[in-house]
Amino acid sequence: MSERLLVSTRKGLFVVVPQRGGWRIERSAFLGDNVTLALADDRDGSWYAALNLGHFGVKLRRSTDQGRSWDELAVPTYAADQTVATGDGKPPKPATLQLLWALEKGGADERGRLWAGTIPGGLFRSDDSGASWQLVQSLWDRPERAEWFGGGYDYPGIHSICVDPRDARKLRVAVSCGGVWQSADSGDTWSVTTEGMFAAYMPPERAGDPAIQDPHRMVQCRDAPDHLWVQHHNGVFRSSDGGNTWAEIANVSPSVFGFAVAVHPRDPHTAWFVPAVKDECRVPVDARLVVARTRDGGQSFDVASEGLPQQDAYDLVYRHGLAIDGDGNRLAFGSTTGGLWVSEDQGARWQAADVRMPPISAVVFA
Amino acid sequence: MPRVVLASALARWLRDSASAHAVDAAIDAPGETVGDVLENVFARHPQLRGYVVDDQGAVRHHVAVFVDGVAISDKVRLRQPVAAQGEIYIMQALSGG
Repeated sequence: MSERLLVSTRKGLFVVVPQRGGWRIERSAFLGDNVTLALADDRDGSWYAALNLGHFGVKLRRSTDQGRSWDELAVPTYAADQTVATGDGKPPKPATLQLLWALEKGGADERGRLWAGTIPGGLFRSDDSGASWQLVQSLWDRPERAEWFGGGYDYPGIHSICVDPRDARKLRVAVSCGGVWQSADSGDTWSVTTEGMFAAYMPPERAGDPAIQDPHRMVQCRDAPDHLWVQHHNGVFRSSDGGNTWAEIANVSPSVFGFAVAVHPRDPHTAWFVPAVKDECRVPVDARLVVARTRDGGQSFDVASEGLPQQDAYDLVYRHGLAIDGDGNRLAFGSTTGGLWVSEDQGARWQAADVRMPPISAVVFA
Repeated sequence: MPRVVLASALARWLRDSASAHAVDAAIDAPGETVGDVLENVFARHPQLRGYVVDDQGAVRHHVAVFVDGVAISDKVRLRQPVAAQGEIYIMQALSGG
C-alpha cells in the first residue's frame, strides 16, 4: 500500500504520510507558490511538480531524492506560427502555454518518456524525462481542434492521458471541451471516439458532436484497460470497449455532476465519484460531503459519509483531486477548501488528515 | 552599457547554472533596443527567458518593463531604443491571494 501522498496546492507541494494514527505533513516544497500537478514515476523513482507562477509562467521541476531538492526542467512551448482558434467564437490568438493540465509517464519499457497535456490544447511528448518536449503535431493539426473550446478556462485543454498498460503505443486522451481521442501508434494518428456521449450544454442539434464533449476526467482500469470511466460535464459515462463507445450512468447518488473519478486498478466495475450540485453552483449536495461508489459497473451506488463533514461543508474536489493507490484499497482526496481525507477500506470510511491545507488541485500516491 | 534590473520577485527564481549562485539583481548587457538588450541577458542566463517572455517572445502579460522609469508600450516587438547608460527595470504586477 502506498505510504505517501503528494498534495499539490495553491501554496506549495506537501508530502503527507501516516504518523501516529493520522496523516500529517512530512515536508513541503515550493511554499507560497501554486503547484498544480505532481507525478511520481515508479520507473525511476523521480517526482515531478508542475507550477503555475502566474506572472512568470508555467514551470516544471523534477526531484530524484523524494522532494528534498528539485531541478528546473523545460516546459512545453508553442512555435511562432501556432495559433488557438476555438469553437465558441473567440478570435484566434497565438498559442502560449497556459497550464500543464496532465502529466503521465510512458510505458514500463519507455524509460524517460512522459506525456503532457496542456491548455491551450497541445499534447506534448518528452523522451528525456522532461529535459525537452515535442508537440504531438498530428493531434494539433486535426481540423476538429478548431471546434474545441475552454471549460472553466478561456482555452481548451488536455487533462487526462491514459497510456495502455498492455501496449504503451495506445493512448487515450480527454479534452475539455474537445472529446475523447485515441491513438494506436504513439500519437502518429488519432480518432475521436465519443459515441454515446451527449452534451446537454450545447444547442440541441449539436449535442452529439464528438469534438465538443466535455469529459471532466477520464480514468482507465489498470488490469482491464478496455474499461474506462468518464466524469463528464453533464453526467457519468463508462466504456467497456476501449473507449470506442460510451454508456451513460445516470443514477449516481446524490448527483451526476462532479469533476473527479477513480477506478479500482483490478476491478473495472468499481469506481468512485465526489458529486456536487450542478452546474455553476458546485458545492456538495445539501452541504454534505460524500463519496459515491459503485461496485457493479454503475448499476447501483452506495454513498459514503462516515468520516466526512455532514454539515456546512462546501468542499469541491477538482478533476485531479481524487487518487487511488496501486493495491486498490487506499484512496485519498483533497478539496478546494483545503480538506484532505484518506480511506483505507476502498472508500467505505474516511479519515480527515490532520492538516489545514491551502486549496488543493491534485492528489497522487507516491 | 545599459543595465537591466530585476525585481526581487523575479530574481529569486534564478540561479547561475555555472555557479549555482543566485543571479545578481542587476545585469549589464549591450544593445540598442529593449529586445537586443534582453536577448543578450537571456544568452547569459537562458533560464530567465521563460520567466520574462512567453512562448512567442512577447513580454508576459503580468510582467512590466520600464526604460528609465517609463513603461514600454509595445510588449511584443520590443524595438524601443535604450540609451547607452539607460536602465531597463523588470517587475511584475502585484498580486493577491
